[in-house]
Order: sequence, then C-alpha cells, then structure tokens
Amino acid sequence: MSGASIVSAAVELGGGLLLAPLLPGLVQHWKARLQGRRGPSPLQPYRELRRLWGKSAVDPAGSGLVYRWAPAIVAASVAAAVLLVPVAGRAPGLGVGRDMFVLAGLLALARFAVAAAAWDVGNGFSLMGASRDLTIAVSTEATLVLALAVGALVAGTTSLTGMVAGTAGTAVWANPALALGAVSFALVVVAETGRQPVDNPDTHLELTMIHEGPLLEYAGRDLAYLQWAAAVRHWFVLVLAAQVFLPHARSVWLQLGTLPIALVVLCGALALMETLIAKMRILLAPRLLALGGIAALLGVASWLVQLT
Amino acid sequence: MTAALLLTALALLGLGIAACTAERTFRVALALQSGGAALLAVCGFWALAAGSSFGSAFSGAFAPRFGVDGLTAFFLGMLGLVAAPTLLFSARYLDSRPRGRLVAGLTGVFVLTLAEVLCARDPLTFLGGWELMTLLPAALILIGRSDEGARRSVFLYVAVTHIAGAGTWVAVLLAAHAGVFGGASVLARGSGLQVAIALAALVGMGTKAGVMPLHSWLPRAHPIAPAPVSALMSGVMIKVAIYGLVRVLVDWLGVLPLWLGVLVLALGALSAVGGVVYALFQHDLKRLLAFHSIENVGIIVLGLGACLLLRARGADTWAALALAAALLHTLNHAVFKSLLFLGAGAFERAVGSLELDRLGGLLRRMPWTGAAFLVGSLAIAGVPPLNGFASEWLTLQALVHVPAYGGLGDGLAGALALAALAATAALAVFCFVKVVGLVLLGPPRRPSVADATEAPIPMRAAVVALAGVCVVLGVVPGLLVAPLARLAPWPASERGTLALHLPGTGSLPTVGIALALGVLSLLLFVMRGRRVAAPAPTWVCGQLVQPQLAWTSAGFTKPLRLVLEVVLRPEREITVRTTGGVVQEVAYSGRVPHLIDERLYAPLVRSGLVAARHARRLQSGHLGTYVWYLIALVLVLLAAAKAGLIG
Repeated sequence: MSGASIVSAAVELGGGLLLAPLLPGLVQHWKARLQGRRGPSPLQPYRELRRLWGKSAVDPAGSGLVYRWAPAIVAASVAAAVLLVPVAGRAPGLGVGRDMFVLAGLLALARFAVAAAAWDVGNGFSLMGASRDLTIAVSTEATLVLALAVGALVAGTTSLTGMVAGTAGTAVWANPALALGAVSFALVVVAETGRQPVDNPDTHLELTMIHEGPLLEYAGRDLAYLQWAAAVRHWFVLVLAAQVFLPHARSVWLQLGTLPIALVVLCGALALMETLIAKMRILLAPRLLALGGIAALLGVASWLVQLT
Repeated sequence: MTAALLLTALALLGLGIAACTAERTFRVALALQSGGAALLAVCGFWALAAGSSFGSAFSGAFAPRFGVDGLTAFFLGMLGLVAAPTLLFSARYLDSRPRGRLVAGLTGVFVLTLAEVLCARDPLTFLGGWELMTLLPAALILIGRSDEGARRSVFLYVAVTHIAGAGTWVAVLLAAHAGVFGGASVLARGSGLQVAIALAALVGMGTKAGVMPLHSWLPRAHPIAPAPVSALMSGVMIKVAIYGLVRVLVDWLGVLPLWLGVLVLALGALSAVGGVVYALFQHDLKRLLAFHSIENVGIIVLGLGACLLLRARGADTWAALALAAALLHTLNHAVFKSLLFLGAGAFERAVGSLELDRLGGLLRRMPWTGAAFLVGSLAIAGVPPLNGFASEWLTLQALVHVPAYGGLGDGLAGALALAALAATAALAVFCFVKVVGLVLLGPPRRPSVADATEAPIPMRAAVVALAGVCVVLGVVPGLLVAPLARLAPWPASERGTLALHLPGTGSLPTVGIALALGVLSLLLFVMRGRRVAAPAPTWVCGQLVQPQLAWTSAGFTKPLRLVLEVVLRPEREITVRTTGGVVQEVAYSGRVPHLIDERLYAPLVRSGLVAARHARRLQSGHLGTYVWYLIALVLVLLAAAKAGLIG
C-alpha cells in the first residue's frame, strides 16, 4: 500500500469520525457573523456533544426496543457511509466497498430507523417531522442517484473512488455534463444536511421541524449520537461535492491538500445561503429538488450527445 | 438423480393432497406437502447450481412433454422455497377455518399446477397449465368466502385475466407456428412476427404479472384470498408470468429492436412508481401488500428492460447481469412478500381485522411473528443488509449501464428509469415505515389488539424461516448471481463470489456491509453504557396524551398526498353540522381514487355496456326477423363473392 492511500484512509476516518462536527459549527459561526451577531465558536457542536454525553436519557411512556436501538443504528449507518465515501482518488477499500448506490441504501436505513422510532413514541410532532422528511427524501434520493449517475457516466464507473479519480483535472469540464451534475448535487447537499431553504436547523418551533422533529423525545447520549450523525452527514456530502463536483487536481496529494480549503469554502457557501434565502414552503421543496433532477438529466443528455 | 428427486418431491405433494381428504390425516397431509415442497426447493437450486437439464427439450408439436432446464430449475426452486413454509403455515391457519381441508388440498394442487407450467415443454401443456393457474385461485377464494364483494372481485379477476390473457395464447401459438417456441429458429430483428409475438406476450403475460396499466385485477383478488393462497399468488403465481416473459423476450426472440426495450422500461417504471404510490394510500394491510406486488413486478420488469436494451447495444456481459438482477429480485420478492402475507394472516387470525389504523403494538404481543414481519418490511423497503437491497442494487447498476452503452434516446430512458427506481425505493421506505409503525409499534388502537397472543408454533416457524432466508439472501447474493447470469442464452461468464464484485462498479461486499452495520450498531449500543433513563410522558406541547391524538395512516402520508395532488387528484369531503351557530360535529372523509381504474377502465366498461345495449335491439325474438337476417347475410356473402372479395 502506498503512502498516499494510507494517508487517504487516515484522513477519511479521522475527518469523518472526529472532525465532522466542526463543519456544522463553522456554518453556524459564519452565519452568525453574516447576520451581524457574534455567535458561537466553531467548536460549539463538540461542547454540545460533551454536555449531552453527561446527561441521562429519557424513555417516553410506551416506547420500546425500536426507540432504544434507533440512535445506535443511525450512527452506525452514517459511520458505514464514512467508510464508503473516499477523500481521494486512490483510497483503499475499507470493507464496505466504494459504490455510490450503497450510499443511498445506508441513508435509507438511517431514515427508516429514525421514522420507526418516531412511530414507537407516537408523538405527533415526531411523526409530523418524519413524514415530511420521508416526503422530501423521495425527490432527494432520485436527484442524488441521478447526480451521481452523471459523475459515474463521466468517470466510467459507479465506484466513488473511480469517480474522484475520473473527474479530476480540467478536461472533463469541457462538456457541460459535470457542471449540470454539480447544480443538481448542490440541491442534494442542502436537502441532506437539512439546511435552508429546505429545512431550518435552528428552529425551536415543533410545527416547522423536519429533521429535528423525530429527535424531539431523545435526550442524553441518544441525542448525542443523533446530532453526531447529522454532523457526519455534512462531512460525506460535502466531501463528495468537493471531490467529484468541484474541479480538483489529478495528484492524490494535491487532492488531499485542497480538500480542507474546499470544505471551508462549501461551509461558507452554506452559511451565505442560509443568510440570504428564507426557508421555503415544505410542499415546494420536492419541486425544487425535482428541478435538480432535471438538471442532472440534461447533464446525462449532454454527455450522450458528445459520445454519439 | 435430480430427476428422481424431483419426481419424489412431486409424489410427496400428490400424496399430501390425497391425505387432505380425511380429517384425521390433515396435519400429516400438510406435513407431507410441505416436505415435498422443501424437496422441490432443494432439487431446483441443485439443478441450477449444477447447470443440469433433463427431460424433453421445447417442441412446437402438440404432444405433452415435460423437461427441466436452468431457468425452470430456478423457478421450481423458488416455488418450493415459498411453498414449503406456506404449507407449514396452513397446517394451523386452515384447521380452524370453514372448509379448511378443501382449501389445503386445492392449495397443493395449485403448487403442482405452477410446477407443471414451469416444466411444460410444448404449447398445449403450457397453455393448459396457464389457464388452470388462473382458475384455481378463483376457486380457492370462492370456497373461503362467497359474499357479494368477493364474487364481484373474482369475476373481475377472471374476466380481466382472460380477455387480456388472450395475448399469451397469441404469443405462444405464433411462436409455435414460427418455429421459435424453444428458440429453435431465429427471427429477423424488428420483423413483424418478432414484434407481434413480443407485444402479445407483454399484454398477456404482463396482465398475469400485474404490470401497470394491466394490473387492475391484482389488488382486488390478492387481498380476499386466504393468507397462504395470497402468499402463493403474490409470491409465485405472478412470478410464473415473469418466467413466461423471460422465456419469450430473452430466450426465444433473439435481439429485439431498441424501442421495445424502451417500452418495457417504461412499463416497469410506471408499475414501480404507480404501485408504491397507490400502496401508500391504502388502509388495509393486505390490499397495501397487493399494491406492493405491482411495485416489485415493476422493478423486475425494469431489470428485464435493461437486459433487452443492453443486449440490443451488444453489451452482453451487462445484459446477462441485468437478467440476473431481474431474476434475483424475482426470488427476493417471492421470499419477503410471502413472509409479509403470512405475517398478515397471523395478525388477522390473532386480532380479526387488518384495518391499518386499528392495529398497533403487535411487536410486543407477538414477538416472533412481529420480529419476522419487521425483517420482511426492512427487506421490501430495500435497506441494507437485507435481500431487497442486494437485488435493487444490481438493478440500479444494470440501469446506470444503459446510458453508459446507449445512444441519446435509450440512454435517457435508462437515466429516467434509474430516477424512477430511486424514487420507488424511497417511497417503499416511506410506506413500510408506516406499516411497521401502525401494525407493530405504538399502543394498541383497539381492545382486541391488546389481547392478541402469539401464533401457534408451525405458523411462527414458517415466518421466522422466511425471515432467515431474507437475511441469508441479503448476505450472500453473489453465489446466486453467477448461475443466474449464465441462464442468458448468449455467452456471458461471471465468476461466483460471496459478495458482488462487478467490473465498473464500486462492488457490493454484502458480508462486509452486514458486518460493519451489525458490529458498529452493537458497539455504539454498548458504548452508550447502562441507561439511566427517566420515564416521561410524550411531549405534545403540554397537552394530555390521549388515544384521539394517535396518528393515522392518512395523516402520516398527507404531505406526500399534497405534493402529488396534481397527479393523484384526491377527493375530500368535510361536512360541518351546526345548530344555532355552534359547530356540533365535523365529519371528514377523504380517499385517493385509482386513476387508471376510473379514467381508463371505467369508460371502457361503460362503452362496452352501451354497445351491448344497442346490440340487444337486434335480438327482437321474432322468427321472421331472424329469417330476414339470414337472407341478408346470404345476399351480402353472394355480393362479396361476386365482387371477388371472398372465395
């Protein structure tokens, strides 16, 4: 195994499992600055996790095994997704393969677990959040798969490592396919990380919650797992955005070197968007995502036109 | 050797059917049938793995012939795998029901009929078995219940499958006539005969498989049958139609024109998305499961469409893998759908009705059946590491390779089908979270549900065994993919491994994923340490938690209904009763009408009835009128002969 692949694996595991909470922290920090507030430090998510780790859990009346296991299963599936998503074009396999469709499957498992836990509690607000989350997920998943399919067509493989390597350099940008895929993936990033205009992570009003809703009843270490999982989602969708849908270098070392810069820039973009755009009506979000799907389809078409 | 085993299996089944005639031997009878089915599964998969075939080959001549080849062996194995637990389940499920022995005996005959269709090697035996396969479930439903609704549904089932089923006759007889029955000779690509056979097969066998828009009978007939019969209908009977489609489209007709592949993809996408969307808005568990059969047949047909397109583009390896994807999903669906139908049967036996909003809390009251049902729900929702995910993954791979090898038109069709399958998977998660929540979790929503007790041991064993198969097929799908890809009539080599390592993909190491998910979950669960959990009432903004606040199926799916309002056109009615300006009562009712039924079939039925009314005027009943009809007919014929049109 070469040095580059060992370092890639180390960055992937260390970044995904340990540094992920920094990403939502950065977004919140900059968002506050852009709104003229001082805001929390970027390390605030770590403090939250430490606080929650010391607190006791809550078992709502009537809840059972599903409610108790759900946080562990959600955290396990996003951890498996970290093993799946490579940070560079020569990352070694970490036991779960590198396939893009597996990512969609793992996200579906996490969604199933959270929504089933909401049913186990039977809390109206949790279920409201879960049902909205599942509704939006329909168009998110279709758009995610289409956007990644554009990347797969360009790279000639559905392996994520192959996609990072195959979309490197500037030659692939001669065709508009990848740019259209990037537009579509940008919407997926917003939906998967639960950011405005699809969802508002800062809301404290139960009626407007989407991703926060099903977590309402959780406390203590359960909630810590779920919040950590939300942060890890930021990690792997932003890594994919940076290493597939943004221009990146061919050299693995350069890819690893520019990744932090790209992640910081993407966090800044999310903060800017959260400041400029208000949350949209829930029923309009699927339409926005469907537009992303159409962009990806145009990407596929433009790639096919070039081939024929 | 395998042939002898197969004959033993069928003999055991026959013996079991005979033993159903006496009350004393009822349990023994079903044990014999179940054992025969298990043996059938063993020799089916054995023959598939060994690649052996025996008996006669296909022949267009009209004399009864039987034989087994790889494809038949696979479907026989599937039949046995589903039938064995189903018949075991029947032993306790049917013994308390009216005319249970008759139903049990006929169920055995149904299994034999399905085996006969699969082994038939000449047009006559095939078509005879095909018709019997349609009629037996109708009889089985009517034995169990003969109320007005059931009779109407059965009439509709028989009518639709016979009118559209004519397509099967046309396809098979044309194929026999053209000498391609069995794939002996090759038709020119895109020739009229080839296209005609393909389209006739799509209509006839597509109806039997429940492909939209020819599915109308399926959600009516499947829910009213006894649970074991529903399991066999959804699990195997509609798969026998898939067997027919694979035979005709892939095995016999050679390379089909591109547009036919696109048509098959479109039908698959429509069935997949349409099936799951309508399933979401059902309020009865068995009806919901029936709509999911349409969805899964759609996924299978998507795999078939990808196979046809890739074959037409000359990508033989991926075409074979697409076929393997379709067949693997066929097997997986057979397993988890029969599990879900049997689970629903167990719930029905324990609590009476299967209205989704009036169940709840069954996981705690029926832990074995409930846990097995949960596994089946996760499998059908297509989440890793269960079997539904493995075959959906392979289908997604097949579809993403369509644009990779295709031109603009078929490439875009492949991309659209890919999006449709992704949306279907997300919708299936939505639907089965709802089912799990309403049936298994939360508080019981009705007193009789609170008193539910676990099912008897044979029923429990049947569903747990099927759940085990779901896990096994999810962890080692790679062992099946290689033999299935070899079933393609063109040369394609795939080496079998435990996991799925395919070129051009990031590979699906199913064992690794299952281990990672299992170990990580357990690790995180243990890491959380001993719970110091405070019991607390659920938070509903300070209100009292009351049963009236419980969420319903309609409430949970409302956001999606609103998003799809333009397409689905839901109907709602609110009546407010006021006296003296004070609102006394607000009644709400809503439903999601079935558009294909109301916009496509209802006008057809109406115009058919109108035409019949007009035609009836000809029947005056006067002898003189009929004499005039005859004279007119003779004159017309003479005139035609004179003009040289006939004779």
